[in-house]
Amino acid sequence: MTAAQLAKYVAFSRISATEARREPNELYGRMAFFVVILGVFSSLWRAVSEAGMPLAADPKSLVWYLAATEWILLSAPPIHVEIQEAIRRGDVVYRLGHPVSYVAAEFARGLGLLAVRAPFLGVTAFVCAFAFTRWTPPLKALLIVVPFGFAASALITALYLAIGLLAFWLQDVAPIYWVWQKLMFVLGGLMLPLEVYPEFIQHAAVFTPFPSLLAAPASFVLGTSLMTPGVLARNLILWSGATAFAVSWMFRRVVSDVTINGG
Amino acid sequence: MPPHAAAVELNQLSKSFRVKATRSGAGSVSAVDKLSFSIAPGERVAFIGPNGAGKSTTLKMLAGILQPDAGEVRVLGLVPSRQRRQLAFRIGTVFGQRSQLWYQLPPRDTFELLGRVYEIDPFEHRRRIGILSSVFALGALVNTPVRHLSLGERMRCEIVASLLHAPRMLFLDEPTIGLDVSAKATIRELLWTESEREGVTLLLTSHDTGDMERVCARAIVINHGRLLWDGPISALRQSYLKAKRVTLWSEAEHLDLTLPGVRVLSSSAYRTELEIALEITPLGQVVDAALRQAAIRDMAIEDAPLDEVIRTLYAAAPRESEPS
Repeated sequence: MTAAQLAKYVAFSRISATEARREPNELYGRMAFFVVILGVFSSLWRAVSEAGMPLAADPKSLVWYLAATEWILLSAPPIHVEIQEAIRRGDVVYRLGHPVSYVAAEFARGLGLLAVRAPFLGVTAFVCAFAFTRWTPPLKALLIVVPFGFAASALITALYLAIGLLAFWLQDVAPIYWVWQKLMFVLGGLMLPLEVYPEFIQHAAVFTPFPSLLAAPASFVLGTSLMTPGVLARNLILWSGATAFAVSWMFRRVVSDVTINGG
Repeated sequence: MPPHAAAVELNQLSKSFRVKATRSGAGSVSAVDKLSFSIAPGERVAFIGPNGAGKSTTLKMLAGILQPDAGEVRVLGLVPSRQRRQLAFRIGTVFGQRSQLWYQLPPRDTFELLGRVYEIDPFEHRRRIGILSSVFALGALVNTPVRHLSLGERMRCEIVASLLHAPRMLFLDEPTIGLDVSAKATIRELLWTESEREGVTLLLTSHDTGDMERVCARAIVINHGRLLWDGPISALRQSYLKAKRVTLWSEAEHLDLTLPGVRVLSSSAYRTELEIALEITPLGQVVDAALRQAAIRDMAIEDAPLDEVIRTLYAAAPRESEPS
């Protein structure tokens, strides 16, 4: 890729970041949701612990675990919604006509949004988790969570791109996204570490990208990491490659038999 | 592109879409069927057809967005389906009901993005934005968020966005749809001016005959994906105009013009409006008949509106069952 070509995709990232900064309402909404979720679950786990019921880990660590998983998930912009809407409105006809790779441009747009969301939501996560627990995990753990969490968010964005491409055939990808959310919840260990789930779920999760997206990066704050940083990096690279291959294959299919809405 | 080569050349171009099987067993619908025509550089051509005639599908194939099933197509010497990105640098597209502007941002941000996308030299890009903003009278609009623009203002910005990279060919799909009379007139005037100024070839689809008449000199009419007519708009009128409308203001209060092929559209004191089928009764005979009854104070002769001509053209074309 030449510098001029790279500059095009940087420009897509920059303009979507600009839009996210100038229209921050969605970001504010996510931040508010974050505060509520962490407030509710920190109270819940404190209550469970005080009642003498067994927990997967120390309640304070669990709050930080949830802060990390939610930060990763909420930072990833749901670009499939915009892709679907552009297909429905027919605006996609412009995007397909530009002298750029459509999928790379859409991904670049997503990364621009991610670049704005991740820092704000990261600060929200840190402040809220600290406010609710009066404790912080070791700095080393946080320094590992941040880059891996950002990489996982970028991979989730790419997976949303794949879901969005399905709109060329399905028109409405909401059911696919619904299934995706449930899988993230269970196989990704969104609320609780995977160790507390039945063994068959843990075994099934190994064959999916979900643990590498949420549970593994977040579990560094627990002190009992699901994977070593090396294994997690390898998994993220492998799943990124698989996603890139899948997206590229899907788009080739789109190009060969697309029927754009609006005639 | 070699000198004197056509800007657009279609040869037996066909495209069909799969549809869900029906009881009759149909599995595909033909959108474009062996369509052939060519357009010279700098021409302004109206591409006309009723809804579902295949206009937009043809435009998308010309822009390389859709792949044809059969036939050949060349735009500015390139094959769109194989050289889409190369072609994208030389063509512009405007789709009336679609938008390439970032809705929450001022048009200037989209213009900056397009400068990168089309790899325009920054100095040249600023110069183009300045010139086009002036020609299209954008003024403060370039710094106003798109969501605050009226449809007409937005459409002017859309056209500027499509012209920033100085395309040699501009495809316009219903660029004035939904606009009020004044905004339509502005867009037509600007398109004509810009095409004249920069020698841009225009291919314009529209249901609005005003767009065609004021911007284009030539019309290509299709229906059911097939070519019905290709020639000057003036010739389109002459070929399909079977009647003229004549209004007579006479000294007599009423005229009795019962002649074959003459229909009285309205009659009031001293004024008679007629529709005359010229193939049956020449205009001169009708005027002679009127003069025999009374002196004529004034007379107006009008062609039927282009809308009517086109309707006649569609009606004259053989209809076929759509699914194949």
